Amino acid sequence: MIRVACLLALIALAILIMTALHLDGATATMFSFIGIPALAVALGLYVIKRWQLGAFRRGSGPSTT
Amino acid sequence: MSPTPVGSLFISPPVAPGVDWTHLLPILVAIPGVAILVWGLVRGRLPPAAGVAGLVLPIAAYGFGMLMVMEGSKDVRFCGSCHLMTPIVASLRATDGSSLAAIHFTRGLVPTNEACYACHSGYGIWGTFEAKKAGAMHMLHNLTGHYALPLELNGPFDIASCLGCHAGAASFRDVEAHQDPDVQQALLSHTMACTGACHPAAHPEEALTGGRAPS
Repeated sequence: MIRVACLLALIALAILIMTALHLDGATATMFSFIGIPALAVALGLYVIKRWQLGAFRRGSGPSTT
Repeated sequence: MSPTPVGSLFISPPVAPGVDWTHLLPILVAIPGVAILVWGLVRGRLPPAAGVAGLVLPIAAYGFGMLMVMEGSKDVRFCGSCHLMTPIVASLRATDGSSLAAIHFTRGLVPTNEACYACHSGYGIWGTFEAKKAGAMHMLHNLTGHYALPLELNGPFDIASCLGCHAGAASFRDVEAHQDPDVQQALLSHTMACTGACHPAAHPEEALTGGRAPS
């Protein structure tokens, strides 16, 4: 799950860098409709994985995911 | 038409030497994020501190990226980069007074680098918000192909965009038709538009067909 989250976040950042290097309608469309959803899903997956590992429970110590 | 003169005097706003931080900042923040995410992708796990950085850096990079897109999408070249808008942006340079947009653009009555945005956004923060919301919907329609030609404005044009500049201008106030209470009421209630009856169309009809011949 962490690998999928990292991959989605990397795709999102690649789109962001492309947009910053050449801002036009096509890159802005990718930024809005692929990059932002990909980043949101990546963050969601990461948080779910951390939650499954008990990161948000009281008294849980730091864990490597 | 005479060839377009070139020179730094004809660039607006004047290009100041320096770093374009709106484009550089998202990249600078994204690069360490990419390094952490590649690490996570290869190893399949991240230490908590790296995990937090892997969360925060992409979010921050996208925050700066949104500012960049918000600012950059005001540019006329950005509007003209979608094929449907290319003929409209090209028609702005017509000097024959055939469209209201071209009259404003060629006479410098609107900032030439943000001409589309000057007329198609309202005033204040909500004007900007509404313009960006409409722009996102335009991108979605363009992406899905859900649009009809010739292009039409979605609802009546917000006359406040015109009045923002013209309401206080003596040349506008002196026009007899503008002083007529019935005309004023009709314009403000959107039962009458500036274009058509008195002023030329906002954009030439052939530019609204996305480059195809009007049917």
